[in-house]
Amino acid sequence: MKKTLQTIIHGPWAYWIGAIILGILNILVLIVRREPWGITMNLGIWGEWLGSSLGILNHQGITFKRLMTFSGTYLNIGLLLGAFWATLVASQVRFRPIRDKKFFFSALIGGLLMGYGARIAYGCNVGGLLNGIASSSLTGWIFAIAVFLGTWLGSKLLMKFLV
Amino acid sequence: MSNSTFHSQRKWNIGFMLFLTLLLTLLSQISIRFTFIMALGISLGFVLQKSRFCLVSALRDPILIGMTQLTRAFILLLGISILGFALVYWGSSLRNIPLTLNVFPLGVHTVVGGLLFGIGMVLAGGCSSGILMRSGEGFAMQWVALFGLVVGAVMGDRSIINWRNTFGEWPGIFLPDILGWFPTLILEISILLGLWQLAKWWQTKQFGE
Amino acid sequence: MTRFAIDIWGEMCPIPLIKAKKKLTSMQCGDILVLETEHSCTSRSIVLWAKANRYQIEEEEVANGIWHLELTKTHD
Repeated sequence: MKKTLQTIIHGPWAYWIGAIILGILNILVLIVRREPWGITMNLGIWGEWLGSSLGILNHQGITFKRLMTFSGTYLNIGLLLGAFWATLVASQVRFRPIRDKKFFFSALIGGLLMGYGARIAYGCNVGGLLNGIASSSLTGWIFAIAVFLGTWLGSKLLMKFLV
Repeated sequence: MSNSTFHSQRKWNIGFMLFLTLLLTLLSQISIRFTFIMALGISLGFVLQKSRFCLVSALRDPILIGMTQLTRAFILLLGISILGFALVYWGSSLRNIPLTLNVFPLGVHTVVGGLLFGIGMVLAGGCSSGILMRSGEGFAMQWVALFGLVVGAVMGDRSIINWRNTFGEWPGIFLPDILGWFPTLILEISILLGLWQLAKWWQTKQFGE
Repeated sequence: MTRFAIDIWGEMCPIPLIKAKKKLTSMQCGDILVLETEHSCTSRSIVLWAKANRYQIEEEEVANGIWHLELTKTHD
């Protein structure tokens, strides 16, 4: 019993348990939000707000107030808070700095590719892949295949430049 | 390397839980719906971190190290979501509640986007949810990736129109419209079962039973 | 029964596992590989991989968010 409690607090939880709970949460999001869970569409809006506030981008009408009217904002902020809380519950919080500059560049380039790729395909791994397929949309399946091929290519780059 | 010893972070934990409660209470004064949604977001982040769920791992590990546990868990997640979404869709059609599903238009940019996303997530060490999750865990590398993600998203949003004009676009294909609901569900679940078996076989082949 | 260690500190997964795999091929039966990481994902994937290979693996959280691993190569 104590061991189970330890596992719940510290993790890691079994993958299949995570899958079931995430599935239920995913469905709940659809019910409450009336559209599926997605991440990058909202991040693009954050970007527009930051860019126009800093004067780098021409204003497309995204004020901070407007940003706060999107349900996606609350999902994304919630996700960050929830992940932090999970780490805190297990007393595993620590700042983990970048220890090699090659990872700084792979993170930056990787993030740019992900953001760009996700938006031109209208969704990321959650909105486009998971929930594209969950929505019984053919686009979702095709996107999934493309992401898998991309992962394969990315793995080759990783082995070549980052190991 | 590791000079620190174990400190319980329980006091911080209690403080943070109070903070979350306060945040949600304040939010409930503005909108109950947003409060629910934020609570769901927090739950998602919590479960993602505790189960170390990561799509990059699910797609990359079969290739690089031959392990498919996460892949199979992700297939389970897909199956649950497909069935759950179908139920919610039927439920809301019956009650005339408007609902949007992610049936996105299809074009060359879908495939290009997928390739770029796949490459990017391996380089960044996480998918979108993984980056948010690890940012919450305190990984500076994923903070950088998050910054890239936001910038890339803006660039992507602003360039869709060019892709559309250059290569055209087909409207999204909602499979139940073409095949009917039950054939669609049977087809999709069958494919997932097949992929699950394939994943299991792949790992067994690398490691033995 | 030699003890080896490789530095995987700060490397993003799956790089630590790939390095561990490589190191193991040059180790003898009975040798132990010692690893330390601050990455929960890395620690778990090494444990899972070791178990799938039926190697002996010990994992201990030695400080807040830091895991110490000892992998024994029990067979070739």
